[in-house]
Amino acid sequence: MVVTINGRQFEVEQGQTILDVARANDIYIPTLCYLEKVSPIGSCGLCVVEVEGQSEPVQACSTYVEDGMVIITDSPSLFETRRKVLERILERHPLDCPVCDKAGECRLQDLVYEFGLEGRIADHRVGIPRLQEPPVTYSTPGIKYYPSRCVLCQRCVHVCMEHVGRGVLVVNEEGDKARIEPLYADNCISCGECLAVCPVGALTENVSPLKARPWQKKVVRTVCPYCGVGCVLELNVARNKVVKVTVDDTIPPNYGTLCVKGRFGFEFINSEERLKKPLLRKNGEFQEVSWEEALDFVADKLSSIKNEAGSDAIAGLASAKCTNEDNYVFQKFMRAVIGTNNVDHCARL
Amino acid sequence: MTVPLEKVGEEMILNMGPQHPATHGVLRLVLQLEGEVVKRVVPMIGYLHRGIEKLCEERTYIQNLVLTDRLDYTAAMSNNLSYALAVERLCGIEVPERAQVIRVIMAELSRIAAHLLWIGTYALDIGAITPFFYCFREREKVLDMFEMISGQRITPSYICIGGVRKDITPEFLEALKSFTDTFETYILDYEALLTKNPIWLSRTRDVAVLSREEAINWGTTGPVLRASGVQFDFRKATPYCGYENYEFEIPYGTNGDCYDRYRVRMEELRQSNRIIKQAMANLPDGPILADVPYVVMPDKSDVLTDIEALIKHFKIASGAFQIPKGEVYSSIENPKGELGFYIVSDGSSRPYRMRIKSSCFVNLSTLPVMIEGRHMVADVVAAVGSIDIVLGEVDR
Repeated sequence: MVVTINGRQFEVEQGQTILDVARANDIYIPTLCYLEKVSPIGSCGLCVVEVEGQSEPVQACSTYVEDGMVIITDSPSLFETRRKVLERILERHPLDCPVCDKAGECRLQDLVYEFGLEGRIADHRVGIPRLQEPPVTYSTPGIKYYPSRCVLCQRCVHVCMEHVGRGVLVVNEEGDKARIEPLYADNCISCGECLAVCPVGALTENVSPLKARPWQKKVVRTVCPYCGVGCVLELNVARNKVVKVTVDDTIPPNYGTLCVKGRFGFEFINSEERLKKPLLRKNGEFQEVSWEEALDFVADKLSSIKNEAGSDAIAGLASAKCTNEDNYVFQKFMRAVIGTNNVDHCARL
Repeated sequence: MTVPLEKVGEEMILNMGPQHPATHGVLRLVLQLEGEVVKRVVPMIGYLHRGIEKLCEERTYIQNLVLTDRLDYTAAMSNNLSYALAVERLCGIEVPERAQVIRVIMAELSRIAAHLLWIGTYALDIGAITPFFYCFREREKVLDMFEMISGQRITPSYICIGGVRKDITPEFLEALKSFTDTFETYILDYEALLTKNPIWLSRTRDVAVLSREEAINWGTTGPVLRASGVQFDFRKATPYCGYENYEFEIPYGTNGDCYDRYRVRMEELRQSNRIIKQAMANLPDGPILADVPYVVMPDKSDVLTDIEALIKHFKIASGAFQIPKGEVYSSIENPKGELGFYIVSDGSSRPYRMRIKSSCFVNLSTLPVMIEGRHMVADVVAAVGSIDIVLGEVDR
């Protein structure tokens, strides 16, 4: 099949939407609610394009290509339509940028800046400025939900229903009072998918007390330590502390999906309770000792227990938070040196 | 650091500075003296080097504006103007007319303020205290006017990319009118104290002469160049900010000595006053900031009440805008000479390289030419003062 976009011809296949074709060929169509991993949502109306033969512009994300379609992605009237979409969103958006977690990496900010280069989007004399409203309870304590910042793109609703399969969120009420509500909160598994797909600061993570703007943090790609799947995630690090976990949707094996441990389980890295020196219980209290003293003690005691009660009297518990190499050496130690198969790992518990 | 001078016979090698009341800042002059006659003088600079050019690479173009105030801190508005003109030329921004006229007023007020400070401190170096008080009395009026419109006296950062920050108020125009109406009489006061004063004449006439060829060959600009007989001023040669619409003259000297430099600056005070009067009479209405939403911040009252202005302000302040790739050199006539900015942009919101061409740096390099072998220690003071250096610009 062949379609024409902006005067250029492209080969397309059945089942592709106009937006798919545009993105595959580096043609820019602005989007807000579009999410690649779910079926098209079509709630924002930003991706409208003009198709020859149709009287109204259509949404590129949910219109499938047909043979011989002639499409225009940019024109003065399309620009006006898109500006009206943003104007509608901006009318009810609170003045939160200085205190919002998402400022700097916010899709709404990027769109407003891009569209506002030609002039103002909304006449600010209409309406009064909205101020910050406190967050409301959500289905999980790991996420804070600010309903006033929500742009009703419904990415979270669709991701929870289709991609995760739990269906926790619905859109309640209509018009100006419409908001997302965790109606089936018992279904929530705190996977954080809604948090990851929210384009604005309506859903923000609630685990790290330290926050950082995008230019203050470094993004480090790594593998989740918790279980054997080995999901790839990105740690956002600021001032030597992990502040957030983000994902890249293109990397196997998880393609951007995480579970609660991968998404929110990073507190242990900078925890105050982590040991810095070996501790030995003397007179009923833990005291800091040197490595030599600690190792000597362990070696003596393990040997004496092994001689008196046999190898199987000793069991070893490793941790998912160690590296694979550490865990390999540990189980080798238990099996070869101590001579027992009693080895387990905290992820199995 | 070692000094590139070697003693010969009974000669002395002495330090003048870096702490010295007459070196106009932290300037170190190493003098090789035979008795009182100066055989060699080596200016050693760098004591006020703050790495401004490097700092500019780490900051956005909007943040760099405040660093430019600190170059020639006696005439901060002019520095802002030079930088803003360079960036505007790089981006192709047209500044509205009202802003251009306001810029001319501010630039000329800076010229007056800088020259007043120079006259006061130069006379003080030579030994006359009285002009200092009179000149600073007028300079206070200019600084009060700067405070009226920008909130700051010395480092206003008022002229910004795209225009000026805030519109001028009727109080400002009133103060400006009363200033320009009476300033001529004060110039006559200063001249009465110095111009025909026999002590002044014998301290500055034929002292530190810089010939016309030497001035051109060494690349001097500003009053130093003009006192040596070259009638060159950037406001006439390459007009900016609408200077071609004003009537004014370029004073120049014939001898190239300290006295001529003094007379040139004195006459420039009159011409600046003349320009300000013309600007005040022809102040057009209109906006004061160019409508370039990608780099010019929205109005602060809008930012606090409107989400769109808040978002734009956030984006611009956090450096998410883009400046066209390319390079530009743009210079203006500062009170001290030519202040030029050479900016190389790689398309991002931070300059790749910003080179500041400083007139004081070049003019100071003529000091050995003026002094060596001809004059005594006391004349070094007169010569250094007459070049009118500000170490902030020399060292950056």
